[in-house]
Amino acid sequence: MTSVAMARRRLALSRFWADYRHHRAGVAGLVVLLAAVLLALVAPLFIDESVTNVVDAPGEDFDGPSLAFPFGTDESGRSVLLMVWWGSRTSLLIGFLAAVLSIVIGLVVGIAAGHFRGWTNGVLMRITDWFLVLPSLVTALVLAAILGGSTFTVIMAIAVTSWPSTARLIRAQTLAVEARPYIERSKALGAGHWHITTRHVLPNVAPLLLASTTLEVASAIVTESTLAFLGVTSNKTSWGTMLRASYDFGAATNGAWWYILIPGLAILVVVMAFTLVGRALEAVLNPRLRRAA
Amino acid sequence: MRKWFARLAALGVALLVAGQGATAAHAQDPAAGKKIVRVGATQAMDSMNPFLAVRLVSTSIHRWMYGYLTVPDSKTLQPSADLAESWSTSEDGLTWTFKIRQAKWSDGKPITAEDAAWTFNKMMTDEAAKTANGPAVENFESVTANGQDLVIKLKAPQASMLDNPVPIMPKHVWESVTDMANYDAEKYPAVTSGPYIAIEHKKDQYVKLQANPNYWRGAPKVNELQVIFYDNPQAAIAGLKNGDIDLLGRMTPQEFEAIQNDPNIEAWNTQGRRASYLQINHGATTSDDKPIGDGHPALKDVKVRQALHYAIDKQKLVDEVQNGLAKVADGSIVPPMYKDFFWEAAGDTKVTYDPAKANQILDDAGYKKGADGIRTMPDGKRKLEWRFTIHTDTPIEDKLAEYMTGFMKEIGVTLTTVKLDSSKFTEETGVAATFDIAISGWSVNPDPEEVFATHLCSRRPAANGEGGGTESFYCNETFEQLYKDQQKELDRPKRAEIIKKMQEQLYTDAPIIAIYYTNDLEGYRKDRITSITPIPEDKGLLYGGSGYWPFYTVDVKAQAPTGGGDGGSNTGLIWGGIVGAVVIVGLGAFFLTRRRKSAADERE
Amino acid sequence: MTTPLDAAEPAVQAAGPADERPVRRGTLQYALSKAGGALFSIAMVLVGTFFVFRLLPGDPVRNLAQGRNMTPTQLDLERRRLGLDKPLIDQFFDFVGDTLRLDLGTSYEYKRPVIDLIGERIGPTLLLTGTGLAIAVSLGIWQGTRAGWRHGSRFDRFSTGASLLLWSVPTFWLGLLLMMVFGVGIGPIPGIFPFRGIESVDAPDGFAYVLDVASHMVLPCLTLVAVVYAQYLLVMRSSLLEEVSQDYVTVARAKGLRDDEVRRRHAVPNALLPTVTLVFMRIGFVVGGAVTVEYIYTWPGLGQLFYRAIEVPDFTLMQGTFMLITVSVIVMNTLADVVYHLLDPRVRSA
Repeated sequence: MTSVAMARRRLALSRFWADYRHHRAGVAGLVVLLAAVLLALVAPLFIDESVTNVVDAPGEDFDGPSLAFPFGTDESGRSVLLMVWWGSRTSLLIGFLAAVLSIVIGLVVGIAAGHFRGWTNGVLMRITDWFLVLPSLVTALVLAAILGGSTFTVIMAIAVTSWPSTARLIRAQTLAVEARPYIERSKALGAGHWHITTRHVLPNVAPLLLASTTLEVASAIVTESTLAFLGVTSNKTSWGTMLRASYDFGAATNGAWWYILIPGLAILVVVMAFTLVGRALEAVLNPRLRRAA
Repeated sequence: MRKWFARLAALGVALLVAGQGATAAHAQDPAAGKKIVRVGATQAMDSMNPFLAVRLVSTSIHRWMYGYLTVPDSKTLQPSADLAESWSTSEDGLTWTFKIRQAKWSDGKPITAEDAAWTFNKMMTDEAAKTANGPAVENFESVTANGQDLVIKLKAPQASMLDNPVPIMPKHVWESVTDMANYDAEKYPAVTSGPYIAIEHKKDQYVKLQANPNYWRGAPKVNELQVIFYDNPQAAIAGLKNGDIDLLGRMTPQEFEAIQNDPNIEAWNTQGRRASYLQINHGATTSDDKPIGDGHPALKDVKVRQALHYAIDKQKLVDEVQNGLAKVADGSIVPPMYKDFFWEAAGDTKVTYDPAKANQILDDAGYKKGADGIRTMPDGKRKLEWRFTIHTDTPIEDKLAEYMTGFMKEIGVTLTTVKLDSSKFTEETGVAATFDIAISGWSVNPDPEEVFATHLCSRRPAANGEGGGTESFYCNETFEQLYKDQQKELDRPKRAEIIKKMQEQLYTDAPIIAIYYTNDLEGYRKDRITSITPIPEDKGLLYGGSGYWPFYTVDVKAQAPTGGGDGGSNTGLIWGGIVGAVVIVGLGAFFLTRRRKSAADERE
Repeated sequence: MTTPLDAAEPAVQAAGPADERPVRRGTLQYALSKAGGALFSIAMVLVGTFFVFRLLPGDPVRNLAQGRNMTPTQLDLERRRLGLDKPLIDQFFDFVGDTLRLDLGTSYEYKRPVIDLIGERIGPTLLLTGTGLAIAVSLGIWQGTRAGWRHGSRFDRFSTGASLLLWSVPTFWLGLLLMMVFGVGIGPIPGIFPFRGIESVDAPDGFAYVLDVASHMVLPCLTLVAVVYAQYLLVMRSSLLEEVSQDYVTVARAKGLRDDEVRRRHAVPNALLPTVTLVFMRIGFVVGGAVTVEYIYTWPGLGQLFYRAIEVPDFTLMQGTFMLITVSVIVMNTLADVVYHLLDPRVRSA
């Protein structure tokens, strides 16, 4: 890449940030999001898997919030705070991996459909439309029932049901990009499919992809918790499995409101942060919306 | 514009008043003054057809509806007369003659031996009719009727004949059913011979049963018994606390703790009929003695199994996994509530928690610890790394697994947990034998024969790796012989002795290791239910029991004339009305103002 | 049911003019071509369902038996009854034939035809999710219009924020909270709404029955509406935002029309289009019900039935409900396309 291009990109980036800064909700979301990710990443420095161990649980069952356990304890006397902290790793990991997988499928299908047109486009779009109408939760449940519960299954189930919207978005964007004159020039200069898609189309769709991914992570985290509640889990402590356990072990009827509230609020805050960031990104990157705003 | 709102408001008020009027009318509904018991269940009925129904809730409801040949006595749990008022056996124990009671079906037709004979013959000839209780007639050679006499010829002697689990069905109603596999039996009122008649079934919502005035013991004290289904166990607990239901059975320890201190609820905590045990893959084979599955070779060694037994702190499991609401198992698969058949280890045979001894046994048997603290096989080739198979849908087993992992670590064994859904679980632990240790359990009937049958050679999967119904892949000559002996032994005390010997065999040979007997946890509204007799009468079970006794003897306060038992739902009704009215008014106002405005626009 | 928020918007574009081929055909032809596409999708659902459910690990008969003790004779009988002794291709054609005749097999758990089970439950599901959809759409359009028109106002910020907040909540969690607060009651405050089923066990007759059902619907409906109305609000808001900057709105203003007339007579009707399409797409999902909401409130609908099937697992029932839900979504989507075509003159005359 030439230094001119580098400089241009840097300029674009700083302009983007200047725009983004105006979205206060987006900035707030970004702060929360970064904090959540950072906390999840540094968790192993302070705690480990043992916080989820029932055998040496430090507290009494269903103990209310106290100094030792700021968010109370669960049905086995484990600290809800530490569990939520440790569980954030699974929830975020599943959220990210599912979103990335879904985006990758969507990207490949979308670019292929937009770039090759013709029957490839027809077939790919038919498939995309078909997946688009599959009721996602129902399909994810069926898939999980067939594949059996594991982290892989949960990620697959979420990704397989959520990629089509990305594919549509990317295809539309690809069509728009390829209609620009410089693609014509590039083709005339002998650029192949690979060159055009990776050098011209991809950089142009990448920003939108970022927004899409962010929103995708948000919905993947919610879906993970819903699947966990309905019994499809990764067998690791996550916010979803905590909520399921609070339900299984009757936290509500035992008056342990903290056990239900805290993991739910964790989901709420993180999902909200992702959504706000995603929307802000969209507003900044999508010229249509920018004009309107 | 304002006028319209006024009119709409008036309409809304009118609607509400009408609603209130209707609610008031509801107050004088037929339920008033009746005695109604509402039982909650966290499982819905799978089928009203007793030939097909297998869920516990369904078999319970059928027990309240239909008569059996014999039922467990309410005091001793020994077989006592039901539809059969007396019976006799031939010398060789192969021919049983039951005298059927002179009584009437709920539609007034007499009950005869024909009904019983039809029921059994249907099961013997129609594969679909075997779905629920097939094994009960497997040993039947022929069943014939002569007036009130029912003659059953057996292929082999069977002492458990008097614990036959098959409800006797009215032939005159059921003989027209041709496709049993697809018959849902949703005809009301049902024709029954037990204390209750089903009169209504809303799928996945409730079943209503009415007292049977023709019941031979006399009609029950209450007018109506309702079984109300909840998908959500927490909602069921809340329903009990709110008074939406009067009784709820089969609670988990946590659910029980939630109702324990409620002043209106009698918390029912008695010995249960369930034994929880570990199933150990001690070298599984098919019924032609070919090895099957991939169990760890170390578990074939009885010394290893015994060491495993010594390494389990059952008291800790009871205290921390079951919240103390269970009894440590020092016996085998028959829980202590069956006093006649219960066996408990004592003296030298008794295994108590002793990890040092467990380690000693393993050291002596040549399973040396490696550098990482994990033992290996005596030939040093394979490490002692076992799987522990549990169910996905039973969260309490997750905790059990964590404790088990800890116990095994102490004796130099690595245990990893495998979670399977119930159908895969049965496949892997009951047919394919692809497990090392698995959690299992059995709710034992007053006659424990069936639970022993699950450890017979013949119950192992067939040569093609199919069928069966084993709980352990056990096949032991002594055990087989004892089983045959108890089948022939019609003298109850003598038979009990043999059954105890079988338990001792299972205890010492350890193809299974009983860990605890869970308590029967239930709760009922003290302010509603005035009396209920458990089965057995001395500290027995209510909903969890086998038999209709608690629900035949139950008595409640009559419904208050305002339908008070429904608790919040009346207020809910009013609120629903208000919300409904507001929505209607709101929508109406919206559209009407729009129309009016657009008319105004056209005038401009 | 939780569906990705962003899925709504591209889908709307998909149904709309994003189809870059100029449409020069009549509505009927358009509808026919869409119907053809839908038939193809349905065929794919059939093929997909058949093969996915045959991919299940283990012996289907034993899966069906759920480990119940069956004799080899019973297993054989069952295998023949299900036609599993035939070659795969024959099984496939049997399956397609049966499905077209609406024979979805017999549920192993309930021992009754799947189609009957579905028939029993479709009513309550339509009642619950239909009402929920109606309220969510009304609320979403109303708030979305106000928010979009007064863009950046306090109302806009508040309503958009609130809807996003509710959108971020897992449905089941909100359902459980609402059940605890309004159904069971907290501390001294008693619960006011019933939280189990569709009606009281001793349900009254006549108008009181209607009220009884209505009161049972309050909590499940509230849960559904709270979680899904955000998407209608957001779509309405953003399409109104786009219309506001159009020339014709400026012209209308210049004519001297009152602000709310410009909104009501010019901007909103145009902005409604994407929302209407979204509503139609969602009608398809209405049939599928709301698995978590129905489960929490013991609502006797299709979602509950499907969840039961998953839990057991009862594969025939799962397969039947899955096909029904998917096919109804496809059909409704196709209708959405056609309706869009009818409503939007730009597409029609392009």
